[in-house]
Amino acid sequence: MRPLIRDIKGFGALRAIAGLAVIALLFLLPRFVENTYALHIMILIFISIVMGSSWNLLGGYTGQYSVGHCAYFGMGAYTTMMLMQFRQVPPWFGIWGGMVVALLVALIIGSICFRLRGPYFVLASIAVAEIFRVSALNLKEITNGAEGILATEIPPLKIGGTLITDFSSKVPFYYTGLVFVLFVITVTWLLQNSKLGYYFQAIREDQDAAHSLGISLTIYKNVALSISAVLTSLAGSLYAVYVGFIDPSTVLALDLSVQIVLICIIGGIGTIFGPVIGALVLVPLSEALRSNMIGEFLINSGGVKADSAFGSFLTENLSHAHVLIYGILVVVVILFMPDGVLGFVKTLTARKRKEAA
Amino acid sequence: MAILEIKHVSKFFGGLSANSDVSFEMQQGMIMGLIGPNGAGKTTLFNCITGYYPPSKGDIIFDGRSMHGLQPDKVCKLGMARTWQKVRPLAKMSVVDNVMVGALCRTNSLKKARSMAMEQIKVVGLEHRSDFLAGGLPIGERKKLEVARVLATQPKMLLLDEVMGGLNPAESEEIIQLILAIKKLGITQMVIEHDMKAIMRISDRIVVLNSGEKLAEGSPQEVVSNPDVVTAYLGSE
Repeated sequence: MRPLIRDIKGFGALRAIAGLAVIALLFLLPRFVENTYALHIMILIFISIVMGSSWNLLGGYTGQYSVGHCAYFGMGAYTTMMLMQFRQVPPWFGIWGGMVVALLVALIIGSICFRLRGPYFVLASIAVAEIFRVSALNLKEITNGAEGILATEIPPLKIGGTLITDFSSKVPFYYTGLVFVLFVITVTWLLQNSKLGYYFQAIREDQDAAHSLGISLTIYKNVALSISAVLTSLAGSLYAVYVGFIDPSTVLALDLSVQIVLICIIGGIGTIFGPVIGALVLVPLSEALRSNMIGEFLINSGGVKADSAFGSFLTENLSHAHVLIYGILVVVVILFMPDGVLGFVKTLTARKRKEAA
Repeated sequence: MAILEIKHVSKFFGGLSANSDVSFEMQQGMIMGLIGPNGAGKTTLFNCITGYYPPSKGDIIFDGRSMHGLQPDKVCKLGMARTWQKVRPLAKMSVVDNVMVGALCRTNSLKKARSMAMEQIKVVGLEHRSDFLAGGLPIGERKKLEVARVLATQPKMLLLDEVMGGLNPAESEEIIQLILAIKKLGITQMVIEHDMKAIMRISDRIVVLNSGEKLAEGSPQEVVSNPDVVTAYLGSE
């Protein structure tokens, strides 16, 4: 948290211009890129950034490691989807419903879990999220249970009679995702430069000290959780409408909660752009491993013969072990970059600057 | 009128009594020394006064108001601030940000909080460190940072828990001067300290605790000549 004035001068101005250029490019991207797979990856990255950044507000800034964030993601996904599918409420209204439900759930979970600290809070957050998964699985009349909900039709978005989009391509989802990402990053930036941000970080650093400095732990932890939950539900709603199918084992599962935490840990916890980096690393990595892109690349480039033992290992075995490789890579990154990719790059540049001086 | 009245405060942890029936009063602007052997219940008393533990019995009246059931953040807002025996810097935040967190207790504007923080940083003499991370400071400067941070909450009363612990004589002297300077600002202080020479110099009155009970109270001279106190510290013949 440096004074703003320093950021506007010199290096900061350069960064601001670069940032605006990136945003402009991202807005123009669908005009040049027709490849739906590329857009699909971008949308997945956007969803990951939104959920990572939302978690970051609670985990990174306030230091409360919730491993139950799938609850809020699921609340967004289920509310939006149920309203759309069973009540014919279009998703751009449903999203608000999702936010309200996520907020209510956050207040309930917060009032229970924040009585606990550290590892006990983590365990409680997992347990409470599991309650929601099991409930969604068993309340068949409301949620369709394990069958999940399939979106049959998304109503076209019209403003005053003119058709804006009918959601037939990936482009509207791309723009929605991009707007959500910009919104979440703006919220993070505003928080970092406000009293709330200072209080969140004080609680992260030492909650007893923070308490003695006039910070109400109950109030500010719940505020952090509420903001985080509402923003996470945005990611859930977008995911549900985009993929068109949700069930308890995808949107309310423990792996999703872990995935959300990983995005932040890999990118760099408690920084604005950490979750962005984390999503940019993790989403393409998991996609490449899932589709066995790396193995195919090695074989097609001629580095490995397809009929050799190693080649057949790549095509036969490795493609089935993508989760294992993903896990190993994540462990390696955490071992060698404990502050995330962003922290690693910062220490590297600092070291180089020292050597140059 | 007394600014702080401790009325028959007892604190039990299970069967163990950490404080039993401690009573004393403090007048506005004075420095009260709180001494006693290890385990005498000094820090427990601090925790009871500042809302970390509810006293098992008795009451604490601060500024004419009972502190019963108040959380530490409310206690701080009412104008009573404490430091910690084991310093608690907000390690990954800069020195000025640390002090700003204290100042934000009184204002919502970051700009105002920053100028209030810089003022207190000057009072303790850490201007040259204001942009450093608090976690990187040596112990002497961390102790000063603690004091600056609580001063920024604009307290009427300060409770300092062993601010000189672990410091060399030169650093201790700086803290003594700081405590005397704070007294000149009209802030009432209660000081826990093991360094007898220092506590004799700064205190207006001293309360001695032993095994959770108040053993003696009086001016520094009265306390050192009290045979019970000598026995508690040095053992009897």
